[in-house]
Amino acid sequence: MRFFDPHIHMSSRTTDDYQAMADAGIRAVIEPAFWLGQPRTHVGSFVDYFSSLVGWERFRASQFGIAHYCAMGLNAKEANNDSLAREVLEVLPRFAFKEGVVAIGEIGFDEITPAEERAYCAQVQIALENDMVIMVHSPHRDKKRGILRSLEIAKEMNVPMAKLIMDHNNEETIDDVLDSGAWAAFSIYPHTKMGSDRMVDLVLEYGAERLIVDSSADWGVSDPLSVPRTARRMLERGVPAEAVELCTWKNALDAYAQSGQIDVEALERSPVIDQRALFEDNSVLRGQEPRIDDPVPN
Amino acid sequence: MLATQTCLDDFLERRMPDAGAGWLEKTVAEIGTGASGQRLAALLSMASRHAPRGPLGPSAAERDEAGRALAGWDPERWTTLDAVRVRMVLAHPAIHEAVFPDLLEECFRYADVGELVALYRCLGHLPDGRRFVWRAGEGCRTNMRSVFEATACDTPYPVSNFDDDAWHQLVIKAVFIEAPLWRVYGLDGRLSAELARMALDLADERRSAGRRIPPDLLLCIGSHGSERALQALAIEAASNDACARRAAALALGRAGATDRLRAWPQEESDVAVRAAVKDALDGRCDQIAFAVFEAGRD
Ligand SMILES: [Zn+2]
Repeated sequence: MRFFDPHIHMSSRTTDDYQAMADAGIRAVIEPAFWLGQPRTHVGSFVDYFSSLVGWERFRASQFGIAHYCAMGLNAKEANNDSLAREVLEVLPRFAFKEGVVAIGEIGFDEITPAEERAYCAQVQIALENDMVIMVHSPHRDKKRGILRSLEIAKEMNVPMAKLIMDHNNEETIDDVLDSGAWAAFSIYPHTKMGSDRMVDLVLEYGAERLIVDSSADWGVSDPLSVPRTARRMLERGVPAEAVELCTWKNALDAYAQSGQIDVEALERSPVIDQRALFEDNSVLRGQEPRIDDPVPN
Repeated sequence: MLATQTCLDDFLERRMPDAGAGWLEKTVAEIGTGASGQRLAALLSMASRHAPRGPLGPSAAERDEAGRALAGWDPERWTTLDAVRVRMVLAHPAIHEAVFPDLLEECFRYADVGELVALYRCLGHLPDGRRFVWRAGEGCRTNMRSVFEATACDTPYPVSNFDDDAWHQLVIKAVFIEAPLWRVYGLDGRLSAELARMALDLADERRSAGRRIPPDLLLCIGSHGSERALQALAIEAASNDACARRAAALALGRAGATDRLRAWPQEESDVAVRAAVKDALDGRCDQIAFAVFEAGRD
């Protein structure tokens, strides 16, 4: 099977992860801009980070035949540093409209503060003005209130809900999100948040329409193979193959391809190992084995 | 109007869909009135939404036309988007002026990987190339192979602007990362005893590590066939790998070691190696002869 992990922070993962993901059938990923586990103190750190998402990380992924897209945004945690946040929002448009940037994200609430709300509104506005998809992070604490608030703001601002993906949902939030018309994404973590079996229960109960499975793997304890693992569990427990495909491949593709930045046809073809990343549909090295012994020469 | 501007206009006229062509005409006109660095960078990003995806695929006649416009320029591996972006930069009215390097630097600083490739391809087309030497050095220091090749291959920029240290680094790095050294314009005219020594040191390292010697490494020896070089070539000539024997034959020709070529073992069974020995004896062993060793071309 082929998979799309539409939320994973590859910058914090190793080449072993890339290899395992490619072997497991993951063909494409979206890396939303996030924080680094500790707050940055200079706007230049954001510039270099944003730049790496559309530069080095894209190149790294291509060496394993994985298409790497990203979402650009100021995350909720760092939105709380007001003066830095203003500077970041100023440089954001320099990156938001680049090739392969499929959404503004991940944005939203963490502690649900006024500063977070200002940054969220400003970024929803950028998305609206440029007809972009929005990836919304939901808080770990007081999740339901954070989700309701971010949906409410989006509605007030007239965001077309088909262009909004609400992430990190659980059993308590799925109804509100689906009722709003947005896509509901679920991050499958090994210990916290959602586990694979809970996800299977949800798909059995709700069906797969507008549900999206992702790993949200980052620098913490997390599993970059969450999507294929959850798909396998779904099949074992009798979820129809079409439904599995919807929530581990096609829904995310439909949601984010609205950006016009995903070459869906190219993704549907068998994967291309493009170690040189010379062309998007490079034919020179097609079909060769990836050089996993020496993928990143100095 | 620069000769290469006219050339790019010809290429693009044959390839741009109507809407894209309209956008490009309008954009070139806007840049022509003197766009700021930030505006130019934004337009270079937006170009990805207007140029068709994929290789430029120039005809033989077009490649000749390119070479006539700028000796050493070969657009064979350009994308159409590269051509659009280079054309856009060349439209700037300040390219001759002292402010231009800073303006272009702003584009580099916020570039994604595709934009980097186009910007580095641009350097050979700009007047007074020495102004961009530091930036071109960055292009050679990158680990993104596509970016390295855009800086080093199929362009007259490095040979005409790099000092010896930067030139040596470029050549040895090309061998190291197995970028096609034969495509580095002007290589044969700028080989040296020092470069041969660096290549032979790298060969020793590879042998100690039990790894194969890439054929392009032998290309660096050129006519500098010291005793040490001839010994290294003798090892390759005795290899079980036909590819290594073939490269050794061509390298012996380049080193003027015709006696060794004439003494090539009669029992040589490989047709390609026998042909290489004959080519070398007949003097058909310039850098272009090493094209046959490029991965995926043989
Ligand atoms: Zn995340």
